[in-house]
Amino acid sequence: MNRRRFLSGASTCAAIGLPGLVRAGQTFRLGLTPVFLDNDAVVIERLRSAFSDAMGDPVDLIQRRTYQEITASILDGSVDAAWICGYPYLQHRDSLALLGVPVWRGQPLYQSYLIVGADDAATELEDLRGDVHAFSDPDSNSGYLVTASDLARIGETPERFFSRSVYTYGHRNVVRAVAGGLTRSGSVDGYVWETLASVEPSLTARSRIVTRSEWLGFPPFAAHADRASDADVQRFGAALRGLESSPAGRDALQLLFLDRIQEGDATLFDGIAARMADLSGR
Amino acid sequence: MLSRIGTWPITIRVAAATAGLMILLGLAASQQVLSTLGRLQDARLREYARLHVEGLAVALGPFVLRKDVWEVYDTLDRARANASGERILFTVVADEQGRVLAATDPRRAPVDSEVGAFAEDTVSMSEVTAASGDSVVRVMAPLSVQGRVVGHVVTELDISDLVAQRRNTALALLAGNAAATLILVLAGYVVMARMLRPVELLTRHMGEIGDTPLPIPEAAIPRPDTVLARLLRNFNDMAGAIDARTEAERRLAERERFVSLGRLSSSLAHEINNPLGGLLNATDTIRTYADRPDVVRQSTDLLDRGLRHLRDVSRAILEENRVDRSGHPLSTSDFEDLRLLFEPETTRRKQRLDWKIESSTDALQCLPSAPVRQIALNLLLNASSAAPEGGAVSLSIQEEKDGLLLAVSDDGPGLSETALARLMSEALVEPGGGVGLRLVRDLVAGLGGTVGCDRSEGRTVISVRLPPGEVLPC
Repeated sequence: MNRRRFLSGASTCAAIGLPGLVRAGQTFRLGLTPVFLDNDAVVIERLRSAFSDAMGDPVDLIQRRTYQEITASILDGSVDAAWICGYPYLQHRDSLALLGVPVWRGQPLYQSYLIVGADDAATELEDLRGDVHAFSDPDSNSGYLVTASDLARIGETPERFFSRSVYTYGHRNVVRAVAGGLTRSGSVDGYVWETLASVEPSLTARSRIVTRSEWLGFPPFAAHADRASDADVQRFGAALRGLESSPAGRDALQLLFLDRIQEGDATLFDGIAARMADLSGR
Repeated sequence: MLSRIGTWPITIRVAAATAGLMILLGLAASQQVLSTLGRLQDARLREYARLHVEGLAVALGPFVLRKDVWEVYDTLDRARANASGERILFTVVADEQGRVLAATDPRRAPVDSEVGAFAEDTVSMSEVTAASGDSVVRVMAPLSVQGRVVGHVVTELDISDLVAQRRNTALALLAGNAAATLILVLAGYVVMARMLRPVELLTRHMGEIGDTPLPIPEAAIPRPDTVLARLLRNFNDMAGAIDARTEAERRLAERERFVSLGRLSSSLAHEINNPLGGLLNATDTIRTYADRPDVVRQSTDLLDRGLRHLRDVSRAILEENRVDRSGHPLSTSDFEDLRLLFEPETTRRKQRLDWKIESSTDALQCLPSAPVRQIALNLLLNASSAAPEGGAVSLSIQEEKDGLLLAVSDDGPGLSETALARLMSEALVEPGGGVGLRLVRDLVAGLGGTVGCDRSEGRTVISVRLPPGEVLPC
């Protein structure tokens, strides 16, 4: 167990030990990992109003720089629910309850992409040895775990394999780092890359996909397990899963390039769990 | 070249001087403008570079301290995207060991490479200048956090606009100064030509060196009583004075001719008086011996010879006094006349006269009669008065290859310095002292000849060389 995971576990314990945190009125606080579009205040605002309309209560969107901060926020109760990544969900599976899993292009799955600059000749991970690599976040499945577990399978660690690893804390930042030439390669969320390819094609055009991972469980919405039966959490979960039935909800889904949000199922994340096992078993 | 400039009209010279001064003024003023512009530009550039680096230090300090490659890059990248204008071309940030953390263009400066390659040709912030003419200037500055240097920033600034501004200003100044100079030179020329018109007038009337100045017509003198008008009037007065003096000299020379004859008058009176006694005796003899034809014939012959001599003498005197003799060519008879007039003077003073005419009339007739007679007579009179009683005086006329040599000698004490000056130099002299020597000099000069004076073995020889004259056809 590394230092970060230890701290994460410790905060979980702290959260459990501190129930009944003070809440501000009826506002529902939704934590957002910097999955994508984190740089666009207009999109965030439209998303907030769409969620509020769908739920019937005001919704506050709370952004943090790292996945760890958002996960900790759920665990310590400073957010009511959060859109997190499958990797931290599995890390804290016992303390978290799934509220829904987004369906993207017909299935609740996505891939991790290994990307390089558009003019780079690399064809596989091995070609990138000894160069600078961009990870999104140490707690991201697509932005860290996939590549780290791939390396673990060949008996390598990122620290040894790459001359330097840079954490950009954002999938879009990974694309920027690779496109701008700061790093030679990067590990990025396939859903984010594809979405960026339609909203910001000039950025993704400067990068090229080297390998795609197998299909893995899409980053889910989750709440603290202890509060899963709370009325507002229940109402928020129902609103999420019924987004496609209201115009405001369809707006929100459209903003996120998602089809809908369906009932969550822990088995969706078995692929991620397997990679976690590979990583910790090295 | 300079001597040629000296011959330019004064208006052109003044205009040229104006142009020269204007160009100097233009250069000095342009230099001032450009140096002020340069100072302002440099101050602006330094302020810009300082703000840029200070801003980077504030934004990047904590990230550089943590060596957070992404955050450094992200900050630089966003700053580049947000920057108004394109002044910042490239920025690279390194840690305190000089290893690159990030750059606006990571391909130029990859992460972990040495910043040293970019540290070449850099200047410190206080030395930033656009004066070098390069369109890019590279600045290196330390990156400090809480007074501690944690890294370095190297920034390339695009200063092509400032360089272009400086160049355009220089060109504008050049064009402006050239136009201003041209306009002022033309204006200066016109004004100067107007102001200096009286001076031009004066220059024209002064004539070349040696020419007689011509008075300026009163109508040409500017009416207002300016300094220049007074100058022109003074010039006219001076020109008048010079004319008056020339006229006086001419009259003096004219008089000198009569002085020569005056000197001869007593000798000539004797010359006429002496035969008269013999002639009167002859008439007595005829009266007394009227009946003796041989005596009458003898006396009549005597009377005839005496009267003929008197006729010759009076003719010579008349000839000498004739006012208009300019048309007559010189001939040997002129020298016979001269001898007739002059010999009594030597006889009176018991002086020996040597008279050698070694020239034919053919050779002599190339020269005019009157001036040569006057020259010879004046020189002979001077020689005779210089020679002592019972001394010797001589005249010789010789043909030479390129003209005629007339030499007069005596055994006197030689010419005084004043007399020599009158005979030889052009300097103005007071009248008197030496009979007509100045007239001799003027006449010889008028005939294009030369005068020489030589003294040897107690004799003074004055020789006059006259080229064949152009006055009369030979």
